Amino acid sequence: MTPQFVLEGTVIGLAVGSIYALIALGFVVLYKSTKILNLAHGELVLFGGYLAIAATYGLAGWLPAGAAFAFGIAVTLLVAAALGFAVERAVMRPLFGQPLLSVIIVTLALGYVIRGLMVGLWGAETRTFPPIVPPTVVEVLSVPVSLVGVWSAVSALVLLVLFSLFFRYTLWGIAMRAAANEQLTASTLGVSLKRAFAYAWAFAAVAGAVGGILLGLWLGVNFALSTVGLKALAAVILGGLDSIPGAIAGGLAVGVVETVVGGYIDAFVRLFGQPLHGFKEVTAYLVILLVLILRPHGLFGTEHIERL
Amino acid sequence: MAYARPCGDFKTSYAQDMALLDIRLYRVGFVLLAAGLVAAPWLLGRWIFLLNDIAIFAIAATGLSVLMGFAGQISLGHAAFMAVGAYSSWFVTAQLGWPFVAALPLAGLSAFAVGAVVGLPSLRIKGLYLAIATLAFQFLVEYVIVQTVSGMGGTPVPPLEIFGRTLATETQFYYLVLPIWVGGAVFATNLVRTRVGLALMAVRDRDYAAQVLGVNLLYYKTLAFAISAFYAGVAGSLFAHYNRVIGAEHFSLAQSIDFVAMLVIGGLGSVWGPHLGAAFVRTLTQILKIAAPLIALYVPLLGRAAPSLREILFGALLIGLLIWEPGGLARLARKLKRYVDLWPFPH
Repeated sequence: MTPQFVLEGTVIGLAVGSIYALIALGFVVLYKSTKILNLAHGELVLFGGYLAIAATYGLAGWLPAGAAFAFGIAVTLLVAAALGFAVERAVMRPLFGQPLLSVIIVTLALGYVIRGLMVGLWGAETRTFPPIVPPTVVEVLSVPVSLVGVWSAVSALVLLVLFSLFFRYTLWGIAMRAAANEQLTASTLGVSLKRAFAYAWAFAAVAGAVGGILLGLWLGVNFALSTVGLKALAAVILGGLDSIPGAIAGGLAVGVVETVVGGYIDAFVRLFGQPLHGFKEVTAYLVILLVLILRPHGLFGTEHIERL
Repeated sequence: MAYARPCGDFKTSYAQDMALLDIRLYRVGFVLLAAGLVAAPWLLGRWIFLLNDIAIFAIAATGLSVLMGFAGQISLGHAAFMAVGAYSSWFVTAQLGWPFVAALPLAGLSAFAVGAVVGLPSLRIKGLYLAIATLAFQFLVEYVIVQTVSGMGGTPVPPLEIFGRTLATETQFYYLVLPIWVGGAVFATNLVRTRVGLALMAVRDRDYAAQVLGVNLLYYKTLAFAISAFYAGVAGSLFAHYNRVIGAEHFSLAQSIDFVAMLVIGGLGSVWGPHLGAAFVRTLTQILKIAAPLIALYVPLLGRAAPSLREILFGALLIGLLIWEPGGLARLARKLKRYVDLWPFPH
């Protein structure tokens, strides 16, 4: 493993990881405020990617390319937020207080429906955005990265900062954190839990959609994009299920580990003389298993002591 | 004849109290069901393949029902255990050249062992974390299959041979799988009535309380995982020799979720649940397999949506059931029975 390989992996890993972090953030906010492990999060990412591409192409007839892209994204984010509200109202609210098993299964089923609809509407083949960003390659720390990648990473970082500010300073951000922290107290102090839950779902859907758009700009969108949701899961487990800084750190870490370690094993390690293809894709799951065995509450999560 | 439990149905001996089929209706019903199952090849004709398919998946679902319905542990990696059984069966018959009668129990036992190992962390992590751990296990098994044995294609499995006779037709396979299916179902039904099953239910309902009452959590949680994996392993072995080709796509995450769907649709925590659920899910799958190309042919507008119709339908069905009837088909059947019992004065 040469220093050059590590440097390249780290730069690209951080770029991918920043998108993972953004997706993981939506996941954590939802978990924190509703205690729901959303196994449909990957499908929300998929939803954003597919819808943004469809909207961009749909609007391209009337508007110049750049404006169509901007409007397409705005439409996507609005629809994603509406989807979040709708899911909370129609599916999650009737299940409030139901056993964990039901809630997990219902998110799985939700993922089925969303993915089925997306693939049914737009087909299973990879779709790409019209070329908004020129396909040039820039050098970051003397590592060649495509311009789209840089843009994605920068947008993800900006959004991470914006979201952190939202949770730190705005009334609703504070109310949501309060609801997440101590539901009963928050509700006696006048925070509407229903609205907090609804906003959490909308936020998760929007964060997922943004992640889908950024990844879609970089790599194109197909149904396999929903597995990114599971990488965000790895990030969240690593950072701690209920920690916002943990999700960001976890996302960056998973991105780097996946690119450096996974990429190294992919490229150089031989098992019985056979190269290990696609090891990069399972690195995230190994991270999950290791963290669960060694430190189940993650790096920054609340340690919930249960001696059983 | 009483179709429900009659008044004055006193049990005067322990044997009566412990009987599985304790009133005449159940005994008659069971005999009719058994006769129907035995005669199924004549009744169904060439559709018998559907029953073979249902039987294989019902065996695996019975295992998951012990784990999820009775022990309350979440597993999103049941298809991976099925894969363990399928590949050990392939290894034993194709590589070692042993007969199928040896391969079937070995497949079950190897899955049992893997299940016990995967179940061990269930003591340290539970609920959400356990679901995630089994999910990761599922992906790793898929990866190992693709990397080591099957690649992206499939692995051919030798045909079923029992004492020198090759089972070639669907009907012959049916008479092999039927006793295993019924035997597995009866075993599971009895299991949940005995000490083991009661302990598992105590663990499901409140694990602290179970621990205080002297239920060894490590032992019973691991046992639940191992038993569920054993059923999956047996089903995997049968599937391998029935399908004659096994590959990663047969044991994917989607299959694992299908098993969960079977349990929810059939009814969690009911002994009939996995069978009803498997019958429903597999029948619907086969119908859609036939219907999807037809839909695409006659309604071109829906042509693209047809292949994903199954996902959408299953997802919507699961959501609807969980919201309106969490007890699934088994609970609906009970409600229907109660309605008939009490008609016309339901008070």
